[in-house]
Amino acid sequence: MARIAPVPLEAIDDPELAALLARGRTLGVPDALFPGLLARVPGYAKPLMRALIESHGSGNVDHKLKEIIRIQLARFAGDAYFASLRSEQARAAGLTEAEIEAGCGDYEDAPCFTEAEKCALRYADQMYLDASKLDPAFYEEMKRHYTEAQIMELGAFIAFHYGMQLFMRSLAAKPLAS
Amino acid sequence: MATDPDALDDAFFAELRRHYSDDEIVELGAFIGFNIGYHTFFGTLKFYPMFSPDGRLVSQEESARLYGAAPASLQAADD
Repeated sequence: MARIAPVPLEAIDDPELAALLARGRTLGVPDALFPGLLARVPGYAKPLMRALIESHGSGNVDHKLKEIIRIQLARFAGDAYFASLRSEQARAAGLTEAEIEAGCGDYEDAPCFTEAEKCALRYADQMYLDASKLDPAFYEEMKRHYTEAQIMELGAFIAFHYGMQLFMRSLAAKPLAS
Repeated sequence: MATDPDALDDAFFAELRRHYSDDEIVELGAFIGFNIGYHTFFGTLKFYPMFSPDGRLVSQEESARLYGAAPASLQAADD
C-alpha cells in the first residue's frame, strides 16, 4: 500500500476521469492507483492522467521504444510502481522482456536496436544522469534520426514520466496487482 | 525528491502530515515531480526568455545577447 491511500474507485464519479482510468487499465499503464491518488486533487487528476496516457500511447515515436524508455527511467528513479507496469499495446506490437532488459542495460552494444533507437535511449539515460551531455552536438545527432517534433515528443515524454515516477517513488507505491 | 529520494521516508511523511492534509501532500508531490522533470528537459533546450528586461518581445538570438550564457535567474539559484 502506498503511503497515502487512493480515492476509492467507486467514489470517482467524474465521467472523464473514469474514462481515463479505464483507458489506463486497458493500456496497462497506469493501473487504478495513480489516478486514484491524483483524484485527491481534482484540478490535477484529469490533465495529468491525460498527459500520461497520451504521451505514452499516442504520437509519432514508436510506442515500443517509448515503453522501453519508460521502464529504463522508472528503474533509474527507483520507482517500483511504474517499473513493474507493462504496456499491453507494446506487448501486442511484439515488445519482449528481453528487449526491455537490453534497453535498460548496455543498449549501446545491443544488436536489437538501431542507431536511432540507441540515440533515443541515450537521450533518456542522460537527461537525469548528466544533462550536460545533452549539448548542441547531441541534439544535432538526434536531428539526424528524428524530426524536431519527434524530439520534443520524446523530451516531453521523458520529462513527464520521470517526474511522475519520482512522485510515485516518494509514496512508496506498488502496482495494485502485486 | 530530486537529490535524495531515500530521505523521503515514513518519518518524513509523518512530519509532512503534521502540516498538510493527504490531499495537499499529493498536490505538492505531483507538482514537485512535474517540475523536476520539465526544468531539466527545458534546461537542455537552452531556451532564453521571450521578452527583454524592458518588456519587448525579442528573438532567441537577441535574448541570448541580452541575457548572456548564464541567465541571472540561474546565477541567483547557484548563489
